[in-house]
Amino acid sequence: MLRQVIKREIRLLGSRPMWLVGMTLVPLVMAFFFLSILSGGLPKKVPAAIVDLDHSQMSRQITRSLNATELVDINMAAESFNEAMDAVQRGEVFGFFVIPADFERDAVGGRGPTLTFYSNLTYYVPGTMVFKGFKTLGVTTSGRVAQTNLVSMGAPQNMAEVLIQPMTIQTHPLRNPWLNYSYYLSTSFLPGILELMIFILTVWAIAHEIKTGTSREWLATARGDIWTAIIGKLAPQTVVFTVVGLGINALMYNYHHFPLNGPLWHMVLAMFLFVIACQGFATFICCVLPNLRLALSVCSLTGILAFSIAAFSFPVENMYGGVAIFSYLLPVRYYFEIYIGQALNGIPLYYSRYYYAALLVFPILAMLAAPLLRKAARRPVYVP
Amino acid sequence: MFNWIRNIALVMRREFRMVLSSVGTMIFFFGLPLAYPVVYSAIYNTEVTRDMPVAVVDRCRTAESREFVRHADATQAMKICGYASDMEEARRWWAEKKCFAVIEIPADYSEKVTRGEQGVIQFYSDASLLLRYRTFLESLTELQMATDADLRELAINTLGASAIASGTGSSVGTEAYFLGDTQQGFASFIIPGIVVFILQQSMLLGITFLGGGANERRRANGGIDPLAVPASPSATVIGKTLCYVILYLPLSIYILHYIPLWFHFPHQGTLVDYILFIFPMLLASAMLGQTLTCIASEKESAFVVVVFTTLAFLFLSGLTWPRYAMPVFWQWIGDIVPATWGVEGFIRINNNGATLAQQTTPYLWLWGLTAFYSITAWLIARLRSKTAGVKSVKA
Repeated sequence: MLRQVIKREIRLLGSRPMWLVGMTLVPLVMAFFFLSILSGGLPKKVPAAIVDLDHSQMSRQITRSLNATELVDINMAAESFNEAMDAVQRGEVFGFFVIPADFERDAVGGRGPTLTFYSNLTYYVPGTMVFKGFKTLGVTTSGRVAQTNLVSMGAPQNMAEVLIQPMTIQTHPLRNPWLNYSYYLSTSFLPGILELMIFILTVWAIAHEIKTGTSREWLATARGDIWTAIIGKLAPQTVVFTVVGLGINALMYNYHHFPLNGPLWHMVLAMFLFVIACQGFATFICCVLPNLRLALSVCSLTGILAFSIAAFSFPVENMYGGVAIFSYLLPVRYYFEIYIGQALNGIPLYYSRYYYAALLVFPILAMLAAPLLRKAARRPVYVP
Repeated sequence: MFNWIRNIALVMRREFRMVLSSVGTMIFFFGLPLAYPVVYSAIYNTEVTRDMPVAVVDRCRTAESREFVRHADATQAMKICGYASDMEEARRWWAEKKCFAVIEIPADYSEKVTRGEQGVIQFYSDASLLLRYRTFLESLTELQMATDADLRELAINTLGASAIASGTGSSVGTEAYFLGDTQQGFASFIIPGIVVFILQQSMLLGITFLGGGANERRRANGGIDPLAVPASPSATVIGKTLCYVILYLPLSIYILHYIPLWFHFPHQGTLVDYILFIFPMLLASAMLGQTLTCIASEKESAFVVVVFTTLAFLFLSGLTWPRYAMPVFWQWIGDIVPATWGVEGFIRINNNGATLAQQTTPYLWLWGLTAFYSITAWLIARLRSKTAGVKSVKA
């Protein structure tokens, strides 16, 4: 009888283009979309302006050096602060660097002039890039001037160097020395989109039967056994979604060479568990709210909120306690943790064991709540 | 002509009733725009990440190395969680998430800095979230500059070279200013953009939900929607649009004015400027929504059609990833989404204090999109009135 339910479901999946589009096309097109947008890794060469009020040899040297860095692209020479600010407000540049009047004279004369730079954090990523480019150049210029001054005062060359920077800290971002953005955004947003589509389509598959009153026939095909009915209904989707999910992973790890510092099967297993966890979450919602519209509302809203609350970019430990709890109600949070641990950081499986186990909790909860759904499936209520 | 205007008013009145009579549309038109900005603000309102646990592997174990660790502990980003005996133990802490970074001080550190050579300290950071790394980096720069200053003073005293001291003291200074988001907070950056999205997406959801309902009724009644006012396609589109925009003007003031005010997000610019600015975005969204109703075969289709686009639209707008760094094709697609321009103009007005006059490009785009989607919405409405066999009422 499980086979009959599966057969019935496959027939249903073929009856509407929505299924093919929602299960395969949307996740795959989104994968292509994200990976192609983020293929640069970092948005380098941020448009920026220079305000050179000095017009000296040294100030021109600074402009040239700024342009030579990979972070900044000086595409505008403003005559004044106001002109540069106007360009920022218009969105033509993301920051500007001000070289004050008489800069060279004061620098050589040891009067300590100040280089000022402005970064527009309205756009966080390019704003940060511009800041980094400006800051590096400001510090190196300052060092160079100090060194020249020291040497001209008679300090030995090597001592001058040490005096400028007696100690230095070398930073090593582990496993992602390029600070490639795509490694975070693609690997979190694509499972997020998969989760969203699984939520919506699972709810649709179950609750639409109740909306149109075909749920009795569905239950009858399973000879009244709700567990058979649910498993038979969702099994074909599990297969399709897992294949699509693995396809997206193949795109990331094989084609785009994302870091995979652990064994491949850890991520394959995680993807399969993730798919059934999402289905479990949606099924659970259907059991509690056996109404297409309400269950869809709940699942879409949480599915969208997941992108913020699952802490892909803002760390969960810094959220308010009451808010952070919700992060752990979502399957994608655990999948993301597994990705960080197993694929990016390549730590032993042992440290991720709870995340794998947590993914299993969702389908178990759904199966426990299933009797509620049987009641609703027997007496479908149509709400116009 | 009079008849046409009367029809617009009738359509608008009917649409108001449709919106107010269904729980679903009430959720989309009021629940989402009212609640979501608050929810998002609650998620991100802590703005910054601070006091992240850091482990120390101190092979030097001298006064200098301990001094350094104390200073590290005092920075905003770091909180020393303990001394690990070796890198192996530190790595285990990292895997257990007891720490997000490791400071490694080499055995010869204090020897080098006291002898007048450059000391080097290694900092290994977890890079699973870029925000954490960025915060670390910022504190490390400050830490290095402060430690350098201390050591320099020490060196100058021991070398007795006071003449040289004046040379280092007069170096070129740098000053950094952040525009738009002066606190460098995460919420201050992301919320002003997101709220504009909430306006567009909630409206699209509501309109496709209503349209899906109308399509259901049409199917059940042989192509005629019994609840629709028999009016010409143009009157139908204009009447409905008026209803949606009238509903959304107060919501826009709430979202664009009160939310930043209450949660202390950057809030520059004048109310007149950003309401004038957002008006064509509301128009364009209303028209886009009415165009999309053609693929919503039932009420619930709204979820399938609209929800996932939120992510795509959010990305296309360039809020997280700047548009100049995108392939041209995706820039074109982003161009035809009203919220792309809505976000760009609004955050420049709201965060950077720009005036409406400085936002000419996004503003003109929004009016252009309004015109474009008006035509598509009208075509859809016309197609519908034709298939229904209802003769359009001549103006």
